Amino acid sequence: MKVVGQRLPRYDAGAHVTAGTRYVDDVRIPGTLWAKALRSPHHNAEILSIDTSKAEAMEGVFAVVTHADVHKNVHGHIEGLGVPGDEPLLAATHVRYLGQPIAAVAAVDEATALRATEAIEVTYRELEPLFDIRRAFEPNAPQAHDNQNWYPDFEGQMDRRQIRKGDVDWAFEQADHIVTGVYRPYPMEHVPMETQVTQVVPEADGRYTVYSATQAMYFSMGVVAAHLDWPLNRLKFIGGTTGSGFGGKVDTASETITVLLAVKAQRPVRWRWTREEEFLCSSTRAGWHMEVADAITKDGWILGRKMLTLHDAGAYSRFSPYGVTKHSFHHTGAYTIPNLEFNGYVVYTNRVPSTAMRGFGVTSVSFATEIHIERCARAIGMDPLEFRLKNANRLGDTSPNGVVYTDPSTVPVVKAIAEATGHELPADYRTMTAAMRSGDDLPEHLVGQLGNPEDH
Amino acid sequence: MSIEFTVNGTAQVVEAEPLTPLLHVLREDLSITSPKASCQHGGCGACTVIVDGEARRSCLMPVEAARGTAIRTVEGLAPAGGELTPLQQAWIHHYAAQCGFCASGFLMAATAYLEQGGTDDRDAIVEALGGHACRCTGYVKIIAAVQAAARGETFDLEETAVGANTTIKGVER
Amino acid sequence: MAKAVGRGIAAIEYPTGMNQNGDPSQAWIKLKMDGRVDVFAGTVDIGQGSKTVHSQIVADAIGVPMDWVTMDTSNTDSSAFCMGTFASRGTFIGGNAVRLAAEKVRSRILEIGGELLEVDAGDLEIADGEVHVKGSPDKKVGMGDIAGFATFVKGELISGQGTALKEYATLDPETGAVTVPPHSAISYAACAAEVEVDTETGDVRVLKMSQVYDVGRAINPTMVEGQIEGGAMQGLGLGLLETVYPYYPSPDHRGSGYGSYFVPSMEELPELECIIIENPSSDGPFGAKSIGEMANNAQPPAIATAIYDAVGVWVTEMPITPEKVLRALRAKEEGRPESRTDGKYIRYDEELSINAVASADSAVLFAP
Ligand code: FES
Ligand code: FES
Repeated sequence: MKVVGQRLPRYDAGAHVTAGTRYVDDVRIPGTLWAKALRSPHHNAEILSIDTSKAEAMEGVFAVVTHADVHKNVHGHIEGLGVPGDEPLLAATHVRYLGQPIAAVAAVDEATALRATEAIEVTYRELEPLFDIRRAFEPNAPQAHDNQNWYPDFEGQMDRRQIRKGDVDWAFEQADHIVTGVYRPYPMEHVPMETQVTQVVPEADGRYTVYSATQAMYFSMGVVAAHLDWPLNRLKFIGGTTGSGFGGKVDTASETITVLLAVKAQRPVRWRWTREEEFLCSSTRAGWHMEVADAITKDGWILGRKMLTLHDAGAYSRFSPYGVTKHSFHHTGAYTIPNLEFNGYVVYTNRVPSTAMRGFGVTSVSFATEIHIERCARAIGMDPLEFRLKNANRLGDTSPNGVVYTDPSTVPVVKAIAEATGHELPADYRTMTAAMRSGDDLPEHLVGQLGNPEDH
Repeated sequence: MSIEFTVNGTAQVVEAEPLTPLLHVLREDLSITSPKASCQHGGCGACTVIVDGEARRSCLMPVEAARGTAIRTVEGLAPAGGELTPLQQAWIHHYAAQCGFCASGFLMAATAYLEQGGTDDRDAIVEALGGHACRCTGYVKIIAAVQAAARGETFDLEETAVGANTTIKGVER
Repeated sequence: MAKAVGRGIAAIEYPTGMNQNGDPSQAWIKLKMDGRVDVFAGTVDIGQGSKTVHSQIVADAIGVPMDWVTMDTSNTDSSAFCMGTFASRGTFIGGNAVRLAAEKVRSRILEIGGELLEVDAGDLEIADGEVHVKGSPDKKVGMGDIAGFATFVKGELISGQGTALKEYATLDPETGAVTVPPHSAISYAACAAEVEVDTETGDVRVLKMSQVYDVGRAINPTMVEGQIEGGAMQGLGLGLLETVYPYYPSPDHRGSGYGSYFVPSMEELPELECIIIENPSSDGPFGAKSIGEMANNAQPPAIATAIYDAVGVWVTEMPITPEKVLRALRAKEEGRPESRTDGKYIRYDEELSINAVASADSAVLFAP
């Protein structure tokens, strides 16, 4: 019997309803210590000194770690993709956001661990923080980051992500109307029901077992190994059971520090973030500032688009350059626009670094594009659904990167939503498919833009 | 201070500061891990257990207040190896848990709701469970599961239910 | 006072796999000597159901009942590499890895089955854990016999490994043009939202959302619904409720708990309608595309448009809180036009214009 297409229950559905699913925080290992972090009380400050001696002397405290205990303190999650690391695991010279970890403690219980973090003495020189990405480029703007206020390393050479396609000046000249708008999604939290959590067990053979809630076991193992300069076989990640993530648990935010504590204490250590830490100190979905200008004709073609995007990375790069690149690749939404000029910047501010979250890089552009499409359609008095169908991605159309679409479905999904909502479409739209444009379907401005889907 | 209560019918004596949250005692001292430490400030419901027949958020309940009570958790819903309760079966059949982290709290609150005579009335279910958070499911299938259990339906555990408001169609290319 | 109802739609697309590719998932499969199938993969099931979906793929790709398949994704010692659960890659890329491994196991089973039945492997097929000659279902050998024969007579472990990897797409920093397609299949979706706006309080209530998703092939339709319904509520949260900085970019009034940060609850749940379209992809397992990440992208603009339809104001900062709705309504009452026409330009949102940025650095200048 075939099972693809069948409504089978989850493999762990029975376990879920009988307390049989063992999440990281449910693993019980005798002698496990609790971990707590000392976090920055400032948005932006220089660290003048860190003194852990009082904490180390406290009864019940087994380990205190700072930047001095980390072999490679600054390691970028996606150095392998050409994004240089710029974030310390534990802050050494500066704190760039409120809640940034500076030191961590492993102690016999939660209360002792908390008291020990309070006994660590850190002196700071406060610096003016930057919060508004629109101010980051001003000559006298506060410095949010060790380097300049925006990411300089796209392809190792560019300080912005660019898309250039076709002839955007031609499009803006030809246009009957140019519609402009500004779109600003705010940062938000992942709010996984399970907060960040890791348990680490030093094994008798010198290996470390890491119970992790990560969304990416091998990825997180690589991050830990890189910070410690360990071969991968000193670590064994046990994972695959996660109380949801939505992108936030790609960050490997608790694993490395917990391993460091276990190494130093030579005892099992558990670090479970509180909900407050999750809200205040874990990464967020980014804030964005997007400006869109569309060159349109009065009969409803989008000839060209210019777009400027500022992405609020928070204090460090993390995945932001990747996110802005993805954003740029999809900045035309479900539509084919042949003439494009896109500039996108990763901007640093003194807030918690932003990271991947469900829809990464594209949630923002879907919001901007779809409202903008509505405005364009309404501006020329055209039905917004017809406007969408007219400019829909079709077989053979090309993406902002010049890639030929092979399975485009703008037409079927728009027609289906029209049907579901009882929206009457004119006859020629009712029979429209995603088939390659030809004859009357091939408007002048797309001539020469078509590619052959068979080639891909 | 020593405090006595029963958990799933078994007598327990714990040594604890009187204001320690019951959640902490259950999870850390008794290794009863079905109630989850998700927010620990009463905001999400993941730590819900039944205390003397009432659904209670164990993160807000001082252990002292549990003295002499009968506490029930997911571990005690069905006998070990025995048949699942209709509500547990409904959770499986209606795919009411994805990551499952919210399930314990929902199951205990919904068990209390049904035991107190709760019906399949949608508004009443939302009233009873509206304070519980689930980030994965969008609640549709949770409500469907409680309604089905309230109606006394029987459940096929090899297959999940067809969504009430779903159509699937192919596309001509 | 007055409550106004409005409708809006949005259509979106979303790619599968890491942007620019280069993100492998690997799997390996071995047969136990009774023919049962052990799959080892590193894909983390974060609740979306990838482990169940992968088992379904393996069961059909080999031709065995579902309960013959055991999947171990529990650790990095036994499992194969997987880049991770993100970028909508679980079902598609992880699924392709287990499919490729299963196809290798299947062809080895057929070869050994051919030896035992003394026929050409090409004349055989597998169904329900038995290998039989096409057209003569009685001429057959069980997979247990095949695996036992391999283990004890041939001295062979029947196994197979699969890696799903698309070539890294290098891009031109000036134009963004890529050397190869920078992702796997693209999925599409549309959402229609119906909202009720209270013009006195600014409250927006979503009454209904109809959603269409092209998933290529619904390998487990219930789990697809789970993504659509869960995504809808996250989209509603994005659109109307959730932010860590209510007065962004100011860091003030930051929520630190459920009382000060609003996660959608059952009480906000509108009527939901799911329409699943199966327009198969050319490169996904059984024609599947992805759904996970896109599932909260279409609702916010659909809600924003529905609010415009209801009360005639555009709120283009999200979440669209009651305060923002009221401010927009007041501005409209005070006679501020929604846009300004200047020659062929139609300008919206001038109060949020780029000038603050552009003034500082000509590199950022945006002058459409
Ligand atoms: S953990 Fe008790 S209500 Fe959230
Ligand atoms: S199933 Fe994940 S939080 Fe409810």
